[in-house]
Amino acid sequence: MEKKIFSAVGEKEVTRAIVNEFAKQFSEYVESDCLIIGAGPSGLMAGKELAKKKLKVLIVERNNYLGGGFWIGGYLMNKLTVRAPGQEVLSELNIPFEEVSKGLYVADGPHACSKLIAAACDAGVKFANMTVFDDVVLREGNRVVGAVVNWTPVEALPRQITCVDPVALESKIVVDATGHDATVVKKLEERGIVKTVGFGAMWVERSEDLVVEHTGEVHPGLVVCGMSVTTTYGLPRMGPTFGAMLLSGKKAAEIVLQKIK
Amino acid sequence: MRIPSFIYLYDSGKTESLNLNEISQYLKNIFKKSKIQIRDDIITCYLSNFFFKEREKVIDNLANQMTKIKVREIEIKNTVFEPLQGEIEYEKKRLSESGNKSFGILYDGFELMTILSKLIAKEESDFSYCHIVFTNQLFSTWDEGDLRYHARVSVYGFPSVISTTGIVEAPAKPREFYLKKQLWIDIYTLKEEFRGRFIDYDDLRMTEVMKGYVLQAIFYHITGNPFCKDKNCRLYNAHWQEEVIQAQLNKNSEYCKKHQKIIKQFGTENFKNEYI
Repeated sequence: MEKKIFSAVGEKEVTRAIVNEFAKQFSEYVESDCLIIGAGPSGLMAGKELAKKKLKVLIVERNNYLGGGFWIGGYLMNKLTVRAPGQEVLSELNIPFEEVSKGLYVADGPHACSKLIAAACDAGVKFANMTVFDDVVLREGNRVVGAVVNWTPVEALPRQITCVDPVALESKIVVDATGHDATVVKKLEERGIVKTVGFGAMWVERSEDLVVEHTGEVHPGLVVCGMSVTTTYGLPRMGPTFGAMLLSGKKAAEIVLQKIK
Repeated sequence: MRIPSFIYLYDSGKTESLNLNEISQYLKNIFKKSKIQIRDDIITCYLSNFFFKEREKVIDNLANQMTKIKVREIEIKNTVFEPLQGEIEYEKKRLSESGNKSFGILYDGFELMTILSKLIAKEESDFSYCHIVFTNQLFSTWDEGDLRYHARVSVYGFPSVISTTGIVEAPAKPREFYLKKQLWIDIYTLKEEFRGRFIDYDDLRMTEVMKGYVLQAIFYHITGNPFCKDKNCRLYNAHWQEEVIQAQLNKNSEYCKKHQKIIKQFGTENFKNEYI
């Protein structure tokens, strides 16, 4: 008898496996403890910390890939810089790094990013990638209780051939980790609920501290972290350095835990 | 001319390189009859007047005021805006932790002075008292000339406010620094290259430099004019870091002849003063 390497499985079983498992997970995560919009370093970090505490966490990411800008540093070069005490997070995640000058550390982008994604997955975070945030779900007092999402490709197609309604996901709390765009906060601004400031000039020495300091609940039910913080509060932008993203994500997780106790 | 009987220096509480004892001693040698006192940072001093339960309310109120004096648009004067809760929370944290070193927000200097003036006790609110507040808040003032805000080291009034952040950020660094910055050379490399040519955070020269700014504040209090046109005088209103260094760290002479003469008179018996 001929010996095969792989088991005898037909196309229909493969398709069923994908559909069933996705549907099961999606159905389960239509309601979560924490819904994070954006799978960049701050979103992944927040998700990992919360899932570690046994919270049900779903991260929505508009791209196919997770990690946001964490794969590369500045100018398309794949080395990441982290200022102290950000290297403590790198150590926690077993990411190799080197000190290049006092208080400045450098790590390999792909290694750091893949480790962070893996850590989030290992902690139990689930993802809806290729999924774009469309709107917020609001309740009494304009409290944010979820997000309306759609497939990313739907956005890219002409309106007349894609009359595809989005779907809504509910959550105890939502985190805006969408980076410079601050998409979720901006949606509240569109509705006249909050007023963002837009980010200020680059001031790398102070901007990282300020991002961490300002990480928190911007509106009932909505926590903001990472670069979204700079857009929301008009803080100076920083250069290609990631310590604040990691620590901001950590802080966001702490705040979420306090809020949904 | 009115020499204050009391000169109070309020610590910023957050700047290790600032030695107020040394500044106080410097002033004692000039104002022999005035009582020089170092105090905690002005917020801590003010909060000490309240019981613990009331403090939270006071901090809330102050945080609200501080948030509203943020400069949001460099080219728009006194933007009125409704602060976000997160901005207020940040201010509350900054105000309630005297060791908090977080800064980087730009405030309106005169508005800041107005807020701080309300924290001074009534019985210390006359011209026999000179209050000089050090802060790590970065502030700016509106310039009608070019219609924009400019970061400042100090604003003089009641109280006078001097920024340990402002001394780093406000006076312009050497021109080449900015030219190289446009070539995307990172800030740390540039700082290393230009080390010594500007005052940096936690600079060991901070105390020596601040002596001049404190003196400017007292001159403003006494004469209404804090500045001198001589680039080698501590009272020179420097706009470039190189000018700060020239005016404050010049080993040959601290003051111009005119101000040297006035300063000498401050300590003499025949100096006419209605307070002492």
